[in-house]
Amino acid sequence: MQQPQFRIWWLAVPALGYLLIAYAAPLVYLLMRSVIRPEGVSLQLFSAFLSDDYNLRVIGNTLRIALLVTLLCLAIGYPVALALARARGIAQVLLLTAIILPLSIGVVVKAFAWQIVLRRDGAIAKFLVATGIWDEPKRLLFTEPGLVIGAANVFLPFMILPIYSVVRQIDPRLSEAGATLGASPLHRFRKIILPLTMPGLITGIAFVFSMSLSMFVIPSLLMGDRFQTLATLTGRSFLLMRNEALGSATAVVLLVLAVSVVVGSTWVSRRLMRGG
Amino acid sequence: MSDPAFLDVRSAEKRFDAARVLNGVDLAVAQGELVSLLGPSGCGKTTLLRIIAGLTSADAGSVRLDGEDIGRKPPHRRDVGVVFQSYALFPHLTVAENLAFGLKAKGAPATEIAPIVSRFLELVHMAPFADRSVKGLSGGQQQRVAVARALAVKPKLLLLDEPFSALDRKLRETMQIELRRLLRELGTTAIFVTHDQDEALILSDRIAVMNAGRIEQLDRPETIYNRPATAFALEFVGLSTRIRGTVTSYGPEGAVSIDTRFGTLSARGRFEPGSAVIVAVRPERISIGGSSGENRIAPTITDIVFQGARAQIHFETTDGLPILVEMSGALPGGLEPGAAVPLSFATADTMVYPA
Ligand SMILES: Nc1ncnc2c1ncn2[C@@H]1O[C@H](COP(=O)(O)OP(=O)(O)OP(=O)(O)O)[C@@H](O)[C@H]1O
Ligand SMILES: [Mg+2]
Repeated sequence: MQQPQFRIWWLAVPALGYLLIAYAAPLVYLLMRSVIRPEGVSLQLFSAFLSDDYNLRVIGNTLRIALLVTLLCLAIGYPVALALARARGIAQVLLLTAIILPLSIGVVVKAFAWQIVLRRDGAIAKFLVATGIWDEPKRLLFTEPGLVIGAANVFLPFMILPIYSVVRQIDPRLSEAGATLGASPLHRFRKIILPLTMPGLITGIAFVFSMSLSMFVIPSLLMGDRFQTLATLTGRSFLLMRNEALGSATAVVLLVLAVSVVVGSTWVSRRLMRGG
Repeated sequence: MSDPAFLDVRSAEKRFDAARVLNGVDLAVAQGELVSLLGPSGCGKTTLLRIIAGLTSADAGSVRLDGEDIGRKPPHRRDVGVVFQSYALFPHLTVAENLAFGLKAKGAPATEIAPIVSRFLELVHMAPFADRSVKGLSGGQQQRVAVARALAVKPKLLLLDEPFSALDRKLRETMQIELRRLLRELGTTAIFVTHDQDEALILSDRIAVMNAGRIEQLDRPETIYNRPATAFALEFVGLSTRIRGTVTSYGPEGAVSIDTRFGTLSARGRFEPGSAVIVAVRPERISIGGSSGENRIAPTITDIVFQGARAQIHFETTDGLPILVEMSGALPGGLEPGAAVPLSFATADTMVYPA
């Protein structure tokens, strides 16, 4: 008889095979194209790319937008995830539906919808004027805040759901035990709930950050051509400019950023799980 | 019993939707006393504890502790510690950090926390595990940590919800004795929930027998056993033989005559003639041989179970009523299954309750 642990691995074979053919192979091809130059193997493409101010600005744009989108999702998503885990019965079903249902609407459709909402006469501008925050209606479409708001809307479920799945498993007795030991609600939140939700928090951050890094349709539709991120620049260089060298370079830089986010967050959350 | 109302719960009521869970509970506990809350599953024991701790709000009634009305205080300002049935240890902290949690929350300086933590770790024999994660601990170890964690903040009152239910029998007995010693040593006032009568008898100064959202009797263990106030308390604590009957007359010396399938029995009580009652007698109050008591029955032995110093003798009457007798010391000769033996018990030992 074989070890069960050994045999169970075979269940992963279809997924691994699929990823290998559909994902890893083209990626390796792309990587090789970016380092194998006519003059031989070199990183010249990257040093050229990184010494151009415009490209550095594009990297800056990409990181800044991804960071802001992640922060906005976190600020909105964390309380929602806690509320979702506390809700019971019909309230929980409705809340969950409201969070998951939008996932079934295509990103293109959502981005077009946000174009309407972010216009000078759109809902957000009207609301801000009505509440007196703005003196006069302004256009949010084609501005960075508009992009951040729209993208956060699209990625919000990917922040809420991992946090929710962790919060749901926290024994409510833990917080009660904290209370009977004399801990105030704030102290309980900081010392019990927050540390225990950290793994979900990190997963959510990793999801949203890496998705915001590589989003293509949303910035294209909400910002237009004057504002480039690594993803839109990659798309442009392959589709419009037919500049495969530039496209490979941006794609690889993007890949490196995304991989470091995922690896870094996994490392942090494993350390948290083990250490604290 | 110094001040009978260190903890004073009055007419506590609670309903969940349509279900009435507490129907006016009164409970007074003296300082330093160890009271157990004994009752069947679902009778509202946990709900009562949660109301005292402030984790659930009562619909009506008051809770006073140490002369102060704490009914509207949030749980973290009540000074009431709780040991949960599931222990609820903080999984992300070590054993020592679990103990330090409450002290830190109350803002004690680190220099004070360390010695208190090590003292309580010593008290529950968990000092070698101080820096371990609580995740790998055995049930008994988790229980000790939970008790030490709750005691470390010196609560005015400690509530324990079935603290031994997750432990196996042997460990449970050790832990019961340890807990009793610890609470005595610290002079802690404590209420603990159980549905195990032996545990209640071993551990407590007084037992509150709870049934269907009410406390039916709150008394010392021997009183509960010898003079159960209600048929429920009788049934729930200790063994007994119970016979249905009807009161025929009420005599001068507080004795009633009851007509049963086995003829007339007499018992002490006050009942109107014609009331349907249950007559009950404890197994060790029945004597074999048939002369010493006023009440007599002659059933047949079905089984004899030796329990070391004592023996349980099971009888059955011709119409199938089981009767249990307990004897200590040597058994008289002629006792064997199938033998018909006359039994008797005294009027004074015969209890009677409304049916
Ligand atoms: N939060 C709640 N919502 C609805 N019903 C509840 C709630 N908590 C308790 N109950 C009900 O109240 C009744 C008493 O519950 P409680 O937990 O106090 O019983 P218990 O005496 O502790 O029982 P056990 O020995 O099984 O722990 C039960 O019927 C239970 O179903
Ligand atoms: Mg209970």
